[in-house]
Amino acid sequence: MKLMHTKLPEFIRKMKVAAATKGSTYKECEVVGLENLKTAKMQSLRTGRIEQAVEDLARKEDVYRVEVAVIPRIPESMHSAIVRGFDKDGNPVHAVLETINILHPTEDILIHDCPDIDDRRPPIGNH
Amino acid sequence: MSKLKYKIIPEGMLHDIFVPMSAVFIDYADVKACNLTMREACEKIAATIPGPAGYNMFDMTATTTNSDGVMIDGSMTCMAASDYGKINKDFGYLEMVELPYTEELIKEEPHLKQWKKSYPDRRLIMGPDPKVKKIPIHNATLTGRAGNNNSATEMMHYITMEELLLPITGQIQIMKDGKVELGGTGHVISVGIGMVVGEEYGRIVPHRQFKCGSSAHNSGEYAKLLKSHIPVIAADKSELAKYIIQALQTGVIPGKDIGASPAVLSVARHMGILPDFDNMTQASLDELADVGCTKEWITANVEKLTSEEIIARAHEIIPGIDNPKKYDVLEVVQVKYIEV
Repeated sequence: MKLMHTKLPEFIRKMKVAAATKGSTYKECEVVGLENLKTAKMQSLRTGRIEQAVEDLARKEDVYRVEVAVIPRIPESMHSAIVRGFDKDGNPVHAVLETINILHPTEDILIHDCPDIDDRRPPIGNH
Repeated sequence: MSKLKYKIIPEGMLHDIFVPMSAVFIDYADVKACNLTMREACEKIAATIPGPAGYNMFDMTATTTNSDGVMIDGSMTCMAASDYGKINKDFGYLEMVELPYTEELIKEEPHLKQWKKSYPDRRLIMGPDPKVKKIPIHNATLTGRAGNNNSATEMMHYITMEELLLPITGQIQIMKDGKVELGGTGHVISVGIGMVVGEEYGRIVPHRQFKCGSSAHNSGEYAKLLKSHIPVIAADKSELAKYIIQALQTGVIPGKDIGASPAVLSVARHMGILPDFDNMTQASLDELADVGCTKEWITANVEKLTSEEIIARAHEIIPGIDNPKKYDVLEVVQVKYIEV
């Protein structure tokens, strides 16, 4: 099960369906934080768990809309920068690979004013 | 109930510089007196601060090194970052490690020759253990908008993206109610903080990645710009001069044992001490020359001065800091107490 992966569009669709259908009324769900990914395979076990979380919130009568914000679990992420030069026809002709480490806010900026928080994440290192 | 003392520079304008997040300074002796763990002390203070804040705790009976490898009379014991009154459980708190004295350590990190000469009875506390910290590169703690980076020598706000440089010698002054200088980091310090020493548990860079005599920045004409625009709270230059003189008097050589920063070189040349040019990389020499520390300047036949004369004239001798203004620490920090 852990080895299975969900297509990114399917991941997004599942969240929207869960919010729309599992509550007593139709509820919107927006997935944010993945905008720069065009294609990706999402861990299926976790997709199911996040889908379950969306369902759980959609079922709550005081919830009118749901948001799934996907941010790096580790707030310092290491990235490659692929610098490409293109010719007049749009073909890549030169590339330089570099690396950059990015420090970014932790999840606290999204939950600090939320009165009910259920942290279902495993401890770091036990993923 | 006990009262825990701490000092705070609140977020906002501080005289002529902008402090992007609150900076809290705690004495480990006060924490012990209150029978708290270091983390508990940080958490209890954090609970009283709603905005982003960084926490630097010092054991003033220990020793550590600054980025030049110069040893000083006090060391950080832990660092933290908080926001909305809380410290992130995974990334918000980090302790520094104490190193035992071994001949092997002194052989591998020769700047630590100063330890038994300058601070023989003090325990040495360096940066965090790379195996313990949970983020891959920097020695940083993060919570929400607050970042406390490079073993608590720079604090940054992840939404405004503003930053404050806090050289450890300046923080030691804060702990001692001494004197500090506020201003812009400028080109000279920006180059200077790249002149590092190799340390297994380096407060900035672990694993002895950089050899003394090289530049950690290694970025040519850009080195002077890396931190130049950031506000800085630094030690009064007379106090910095005392540490550099003390280090040089133990026999350590700039560019070989300790970092050949402009501050170290400016004091060394008035003591008649030359750096080990043969051990210095061309990149480090180029970066130094770019801020006026050319070979000609380093080797110039300047007046030899006594330690007392260098300390008295430190402000004309040591370059660095844009538009510096001197303050007594109590004009910069607020002293507060919380019941614990």
